[in-house]
Amino acid sequence: MLDNGLRVFVHEDFSTPMAAVNILYNVGSRDEDEQRTGFAHLFEHLMFGGSRNIPSYDEPVQNVGGENNAFTSPDLTNYYITLPADNVETAFWLESDRMMSLSFDPQVLEVQRKVVIEEFKQRYLNQPYGDLWLKLRPLAYTTHPYRWATIGKDIEHIERATLDDVRNFFFKFYRPVNAILVVAGAVTLAQVKQLSEKWFGPIESGTPYLRQLPAEPVQTSARFLETSAAVPLNSLIKTYHMPGRYEADFHEADLISDILGRGKSSRLYQALLKNQPLFNSVTASTTSSLDPGLLLIKANLNPGVSMELANEAVESLLQDFVQHGAEDEELEKVKNQSEVTVAFSQVELLNRAMNLAFAANAGDPELVNADEEKIRMVEKSAIQRVAQTILRPENCSTLFYHAESNQTT
Amino acid sequence: MHLDRTIAPPYRVIQRINLPPIETFPLANGLPLHVINIGEQPVVRLECIFEGGAWHESTPGASYFAIKMLSEGTHAHSSAQISAAFDRIGAFLELSHSFDRASLVVYCLTRFLPEVLPLVQELIQEAAFPDKEWEDLRNITLQNHRVNWEKNAFRATSFFRKNIFGESHPYGRSQTEVSITNLEKAKAIQHYDTFIRHKPYRIVLAGKVGEAEIGHVNAVLGNSNDLITPIQPLSAPNSLVPADEAKNLLIERPESIQSSIRFGKRLFTRNHPDYFKMLVTNEILGGYFGSRLMKNIREEKGLTYGISSNITTFRKEGYFMIGTDVKKEFTQQTLDEIYKEINILQTEPVPSDELQTVKNFMAGEFAGSLNTAFDVADRQKILIMDGLPSDFFEQYVDQIHATTADDVLQIARQYLDPESMTEIVVGGK
Repeated sequence: MLDNGLRVFVHEDFSTPMAAVNILYNVGSRDEDEQRTGFAHLFEHLMFGGSRNIPSYDEPVQNVGGENNAFTSPDLTNYYITLPADNVETAFWLESDRMMSLSFDPQVLEVQRKVVIEEFKQRYLNQPYGDLWLKLRPLAYTTHPYRWATIGKDIEHIERATLDDVRNFFFKFYRPVNAILVVAGAVTLAQVKQLSEKWFGPIESGTPYLRQLPAEPVQTSARFLETSAAVPLNSLIKTYHMPGRYEADFHEADLISDILGRGKSSRLYQALLKNQPLFNSVTASTTSSLDPGLLLIKANLNPGVSMELANEAVESLLQDFVQHGAEDEELEKVKNQSEVTVAFSQVELLNRAMNLAFAANAGDPELVNADEEKIRMVEKSAIQRVAQTILRPENCSTLFYHAESNQTT
Repeated sequence: MHLDRTIAPPYRVIQRINLPPIETFPLANGLPLHVINIGEQPVVRLECIFEGGAWHESTPGASYFAIKMLSEGTHAHSSAQISAAFDRIGAFLELSHSFDRASLVVYCLTRFLPEVLPLVQELIQEAAFPDKEWEDLRNITLQNHRVNWEKNAFRATSFFRKNIFGESHPYGRSQTEVSITNLEKAKAIQHYDTFIRHKPYRIVLAGKVGEAEIGHVNAVLGNSNDLITPIQPLSAPNSLVPADEAKNLLIERPESIQSSIRFGKRLFTRNHPDYFKMLVTNEILGGYFGSRLMKNIREEKGLTYGISSNITTFRKEGYFMIGTDVKKEFTQQTLDEIYKEINILQTEPVPSDELQTVKNFMAGEFAGSLNTAFDVADRQKILIMDGLPSDFFEQYVDQIHATTADDVLQIARQYLDPESMTEIVVGGK
């Protein structure tokens, strides 16, 4: 850790000639003001518009043979570069300058505002089911800021963003004390130490950000929404509140979603796609958010199948699972699947750097190795206990997404 | 000590890349096993690659359905049992299909390879094509197609390929409601019998692979007695009608907010002497985030979330294509800017620092794309399958660095003539 509070982690790997530099800022769309949503993500765009001493961010990266990108989630904003390890100092130079201060060029704001609005249209409005999460979030969350999507609650918020808003957001969140730097690849600890001190050491620490978000109250009655759009198939979506990524019972809930809807041998697929042909696709997944998240079931209906029938079939399958719990082989299966997912997620250098940053952000970089063990320990009785808590009808939000002018029904 | 943050740190340009070699072992029955052993994670990817893609099919869709049906039931096991058997050990099965080939791919923990292999052997040699699963797969494919067809980008790329290659060319065909609905099961079975069952194929095993794993593969996949015919070289399909002159197309979709633009032409394969120079030219125009199209159309004008140009190569043909999604009312302006940027590329030599950046980026990106056993295997596969010289990728960096501003000018004039381009717009103008 540097004096200014920046936490730095190193993962040495000399089997590659490359290095990955990952900076995580502990700010996501959940930290936004309700009247200024979409800012964390707009910011991600502005971070490429030049910093105090360097007019362009991308060009120097490309010039040393590197690639960079970033993403914003409800929980955090993450920036990464992979480049030849010989040129790793370029990443320190660029990242430290933009952490020191952005250029705050009005022209950059104007252009990126337009780009984000086009992104909103491309991803959320001009895709079949693209607005799904825009509908689902405010249904499932009444209080917690997860109720708006990362792109923002209302695109008007982006349209009215001012340079002052941008400045305030930057100096509140983009400070060393609120960031984690991970350097992985053909680099040594000593080298990273020296470069971190040199480039990031002089940056002013900033005030620690104390997150005080309103907790989502326990859901006590089932919620329901119908919507329609020009999509080809009727779609049924059900969400259930579940624990956050590093909270107790998370792995149990995650394994439950796998048992229900991961792969062709899962319960939903076998029962409601294969045996009883209601669906042509059905999956279960979890949002894996840091604050309490959602277990999500999503199915596309075959033409001619009614939403009500499909919904009842899913609910009765869930009730059966809650009553009888998992089979031994079923639990063994999803544990194996999880082990495979974890192992493959560690193959890429950049993924290893990111996983380390996420774990450090959650409070302990050792968490990166803890999942496998925790998953192996989960018992059948715990699966049933957690299923009883989560898969309650009153914990559920159901969305009927109707196909408008559906020629096929 | 004062740190001058306006000065970039020194750096080195990548001049050489190291593509780890692939080892080839002939199995007892003559099938080639190609091995890449790299990495610390205890995982492997097993690929069985058949010369049986869309190029070879007698009826549109036959190759897609033939490969997808492998996991839908064998003479010994039902579809549900097969899924359960792979899922039980966390193995992930992918049945993939391209214009040139069809493949069965399994991702699994190395320790489960001995359990995966007999399943793989059974799928390849004993697929049974049960009726119910055939109907299920057809229904799923049809419904997925309907969702995809709603996406302007998907539709635009389909039309683009159709217009540049022609509808009867295997690279110009796409699935349609009609082709999916009309395909007879017998055609898929015929494809399976002709190109997969008891036919030679290549095996690529990448990841943490030792002697033991090679032994397991040989014991199971190397064990069939009737698999000794050498792999046939690719033959030309029956009717290779060249596409007509550039054909433009505008599909109006009043409900769309954005237009998908696809703009480009038929080009060449990796064997072509101008391939590397074309790669550099394409990169400058729209190949990377700092490209001219991206700078002009996204970063300066904010008309789009993204625009890119690509060189796509299959085994026998290739194409050049610019793709973007823009707000409908920006469609014509975007097209005008594309023409403008091509014209600049054809008339003004690329400035030396821009050319240098592009070369440095391409070399670094290439070096960075060889990180894992799977990356390396994918590159080595291209060399083997497309019959390219083994130093092709080593040459890549040299050839990129050797490209001059004059080359770029010359290539842009020769290959980017606006008259030769096909322009597809789905959405509106």
